[in-house]
Amino acid sequence: MPHRLEIALKNELFDAEGAAVAGKADAYFGIRVQDVRAVHIVTLDADLSPEQLETVRNEIFTNPVTQVSSFAPLDLGFDWCIWVGYRPGVKDTPGQTAIEAMEDVLGIRLAEGEGVFTSKRFCIRGPEISQDDAQCIAEQLLANEIIQQVRIFSRHDWDPENGVGIIIPKVRLDHKPTVTPVSVDSDAVLQQISDARNLALNVNDIPVIRQYFLDSEVRAQRRAIGLDDPTDVELEYISQGRSDHCNHNTFQGRFHYRDLSTGETETIDNLFKTCIQEPTRQLQAQKDWVISVLWDNAGVGRFDRDHYYVITGETHNSPSNMEAYGGAITGIVGVYRDPLGTGKGARLIMGSYGFCTGDRDYDGELKPRLHPRRLLDGIIEGVRDGGNKSGIPTPFGQVTFDHGYMGKCLVFVTALGMMPATVAGTPSEEKTTAAGELIVMCGGRVGKDGIHGVTASSEIFTENTPAGHVQIGDPYTQKKMHDFLLQARDEGLIRFVTDNGGGGLSSSVGETARFSGGCEVWLDRVPLKYEGLDQWEIWVSESQERMTVSVRPEDEDRFMALSEKHAVESTVIGKYTDSGKLHITYDGVTCAYVDMDFLTRGFPQWEFDAEWRSPEMRGLYEPVMGAPRDYNRLLTDLLARPNICSREWIIRQYDHEVQGTSVIKPLEGADRDVNSDASVIRPVLTSEQGLAFSQALLPFYSAIDAFHMTACTIDEAVRRLVAVGGDPEHIGGVDNFCWPNIQYDPVRNPDGRFKAAQLVRSCRALAETCGVYGIPLLSGKDSMYVDGHLAGAYGETHKLSAPETMQFSAVSVVKDIASCVTLDIKCPGDVVYVLGVTKDELGASEYYDRFGYTGCNVPVVDARKHWLLYKDLHAAMEKNLAASVHGIYRGGLGVHLAMCAMAGNLGIRADIGKAPGAEGLRADHLLFSETPGRFVVSVAPESREDFASMMKDHALACIGEVTKAPRLDLSCGAESLVSVPVADLKASWKAPFGQLV
Amino acid sequence: MRNNAEINALVLTGYGLNCDVETAHACELAGARAVCVHINDVISGAVSLEDFQIMVFIGGFSWGDDHGAGVIQAVRMKKNAGDRIIGFINQGGLVLGICNGFQTLVNFGLLPGMDNDYTARTVALTYNDCGNFRDDWVNLSINAQSPCVFTRGMKNMELPVRHGEGKFIADQKVIDQLIDQNQVVCRYARADGDLAAGGFPANPNGSMADIAGICDPTGRVFGLMPHPEAYNHPANHPDWTRNKHLRRCSSADEKPPLSAAGIRIFENAVTYFRA
Repeated sequence: MPHRLEIALKNELFDAEGAAVAGKADAYFGIRVQDVRAVHIVTLDADLSPEQLETVRNEIFTNPVTQVSSFAPLDLGFDWCIWVGYRPGVKDTPGQTAIEAMEDVLGIRLAEGEGVFTSKRFCIRGPEISQDDAQCIAEQLLANEIIQQVRIFSRHDWDPENGVGIIIPKVRLDHKPTVTPVSVDSDAVLQQISDARNLALNVNDIPVIRQYFLDSEVRAQRRAIGLDDPTDVELEYISQGRSDHCNHNTFQGRFHYRDLSTGETETIDNLFKTCIQEPTRQLQAQKDWVISVLWDNAGVGRFDRDHYYVITGETHNSPSNMEAYGGAITGIVGVYRDPLGTGKGARLIMGSYGFCTGDRDYDGELKPRLHPRRLLDGIIEGVRDGGNKSGIPTPFGQVTFDHGYMGKCLVFVTALGMMPATVAGTPSEEKTTAAGELIVMCGGRVGKDGIHGVTASSEIFTENTPAGHVQIGDPYTQKKMHDFLLQARDEGLIRFVTDNGGGGLSSSVGETARFSGGCEVWLDRVPLKYEGLDQWEIWVSESQERMTVSVRPEDEDRFMALSEKHAVESTVIGKYTDSGKLHITYDGVTCAYVDMDFLTRGFPQWEFDAEWRSPEMRGLYEPVMGAPRDYNRLLTDLLARPNICSREWIIRQYDHEVQGTSVIKPLEGADRDVNSDASVIRPVLTSEQGLAFSQALLPFYSAIDAFHMTACTIDEAVRRLVAVGGDPEHIGGVDNFCWPNIQYDPVRNPDGRFKAAQLVRSCRALAETCGVYGIPLLSGKDSMYVDGHLAGAYGETHKLSAPETMQFSAVSVVKDIASCVTLDIKCPGDVVYVLGVTKDELGASEYYDRFGYTGCNVPVVDARKHWLLYKDLHAAMEKNLAASVHGIYRGGLGVHLAMCAMAGNLGIRADIGKAPGAEGLRADHLLFSETPGRFVVSVAPESREDFASMMKDHALACIGEVTKAPRLDLSCGAESLVSVPVADLKASWKAPFGQLV
Repeated sequence: MRNNAEINALVLTGYGLNCDVETAHACELAGARAVCVHINDVISGAVSLEDFQIMVFIGGFSWGDDHGAGVIQAVRMKKNAGDRIIGFINQGGLVLGICNGFQTLVNFGLLPGMDNDYTARTVALTYNDCGNFRDDWVNLSINAQSPCVFTRGMKNMELPVRHGEGKFIADQKVIDQLIDQNQVVCRYARADGDLAAGGFPANPNGSMADIAGICDPTGRVFGLMPHPEAYNHPANHPDWTRNKHLRRCSSADEKPPLSAAGIRIFENAVTYFRA
């Protein structure tokens, strides 16, 4: 008989969870709520005696100091009560941990079919709250219908005896697992099946697939083991393997590029190969610190003789757009499995985030599935719980708002790990599988969650996108697995390890079996969350927190014993072979038998037409604007713009000091409240060497030219590293492309060719800029189809495409962290330098955007020149000649002088007319141009000569000094521009999100 | 276990705990030999507590902190190794609980351990008043009258806090008693040294009486929300890049050089056995 336990804080205690709901109801919807109390519900679907129930109630579920609880509904009183619980099959981690605790305390095992489920109800008081208001709070604040169910009770229809009733979200499938053969009679039939089953097969792939299964030799081999037409297991495998997400068909495509302004044409065969792979290979040959690139789950660089660092970046856009919290936590927890699955396994040492959404305060006519504010709240919380509960610091992150992200938000997640150079006497970065080794699946169990996640992200989001792929990551289960696998690694038990991410076993086993040359998989052995999954579902399910490991048969016992100690489930689900075949059985019957090399042979390259029209051809020009007069108000207002202002509320929710490695924190300065240029950690606690990390994201410039967007983004990431003390001779990069659909269609994607040209130009800039800066691309990913169709005021729909976006992550070593520098000015009397030339480059700047202009003069990176400057600045910083260093980024010199002053809580008096390049530039252009390659540096008077002499080959000028009076005083020659107390600047900079915690 | 003998520190790991590496490092910096031991190896007896002088319940999210931070860890340890742990304390061992470890100690009942009862839950650490997880550095004022072994000779200290459930609450009677018996070891303070008096963010979670850490009446069991192991190097301190320049432009005694002050807590534990 099921029991429902209700738990609440004692009445006299402040309910922070309830207060947060009340605050949001008012702030977001103007609903006046007096009070909200949260009731936590544990539904025990188990046969327990009254004594057992009391034991678990008292010992596990009720804190005697703070809580009250009862198996009858608690009498809390409300105007509205909203119950929120998970839908069947959605991950309920607290339910699982409750079972662990109950079994231990009671000394029992729950029987098959018994379970524990958690839910909540919120008791809301407020006499003015209408039924519609309650509905709004339920749907817009408390629950997402994709994963949760809701019940709303008014005071009048509440039954104090029954309360919310007993709701048990157990999955019951009542389905016998079935393998279905699929007809390959004609291309049309296969296309229909692809559409009906959501396989997202590419039109050009269909004939190749048919040809294979119709081949007489293949048919004969298949008949011999009892197979005829392809099975659904096989087609799902092919669909996963050929998806754009797994196979990067776009980047490996053939681009027919035409520059319409010059008439020149060119064919680029494979952007990945020409712009990423080959340049990185060349750099790898020159740089001995590049240990492993371009094949594993993440790239590997040398930290010191005994340690390698591991880095990769990912996005989780489509799932986050549907279910922000679940999508984001699954994204961060998922990317953490990549370093864990790199080489023989790396320990996670840090993570970072990049969020792109529509305007947080959007109040226009379009109706996105989730309002940007709610979306952002959800993804912030998802990455927070995923990172914090994994025990991995999150010392860097960025948030960018743009209307284009209303169609689909972007959630970038980056992970770094560390592994010893050798593991059990062998190089840690090397691994392979061999015939006879066991295929072991570790971690979570398999359910229907996540099925078709890969193919869904290869399509544009529409009203029909299946919601079944939304999941909720579980950092607890994964942390246990992380600890277990690292111990197994150190004991030499791991031959190969990889993550079960997109595509599930289909991808992980399919890819690892290529090394040995085949595999046999026994699908009936795979542990399931519930019975009734079809074989193909087991094979492609993306249920999270799983790794696939190759273990020698002689190590099986030790591996399993360790697994048990760490409370991790591990199961042998097959073995590697050298048969050349992927061979899958279920209860001894073959359900898939495919040549291992099938996915890598004979598929046609995707083709794209790319047409470049220059900004001038597109009618872009510089706006006709007279110079402003009120610079004080202008600068103060610019600081409050969404893409400039303080985001402290997000940063402080993220644990950035766990592991005890923090050196340069995300917030620095006298009040510890201004963003640092980059983060530095000391990942080996016994060493004085640091690892610097930064990211940049500048999608705005794509409005003019994605080539310069890309070059500027890379330059900013590099400059951020240099600013804190990173070594420019050792910079590893990670490129993460998020691009709208580039396949031309006259009706659905009329500007597809232009977007394709933008991609070509972006990739070229990537290769060129990284070439000059000497940055091998240690890792990278692409996520295409960042478009959405949103309903408008009249039920019509509008396609919104995100701006062409590339996030660039950069990592560097710091030989001695003692030379690290922060941006805050520190001592009155220090002199202030500007390094680098300012040009008339306000195209797509924050300043122009303030007035609704795009302009045409996009910032241009002069990589060769910048590179020499960065090296000399680094040398000066190693000699401790700089008191503060800060790059000049979005918003320009004016905004970033303000940042240095706000961080130091001191003043700056300067004549910006002295800055390099100032001649002939109007004051507002000088203040707000976003020319790359520049820094603000403050130097102690006694170091001034040494500094100037070390930087003598570069454009630099002393423009003023640090003042004790905290005031920003900027002039341009004789003309006074800005004179504002730094406190006023800071107040404005903090105002937009300052009320958020 | 005197003078030159090795002092062994057991650092508890597993089930979602996550501060093992830096806590072990902190113990080693303090001169102890640190061993990371999985909770299940304590429960099974594969590792014996008798081989250790110091036991550290570390930070993290044991069992995901579902059903209350530290609750399930406390229930499991109490049920399966409770007698051994109480025995360890009664035989003179030192127990330190940091963050999730502190939450575990209070749910177990090892703290506050009044009247020699190491099983009663009389205090709680609950959700921060600010409604969210928070990472920030705090100033602590340390009670010199406290019997706490770990804080001997210390007046104040800066440490990072990183938690969502750190609000210390109890019946006012219990709070008064803790204060009277000097079991309140450290309290949240402002930068000028005065107590935070509940003011956010100096008191980051709304703890009653600004309580950040307490000990048992013997002073050998100590729990605190801030993380001393995360201040294991001068560069952990948020002011370290400023400090070296501020020393240039202010008087020398105004800005003394920073040290890895969190390690003193561990050093006191080691010194206790060496004395």
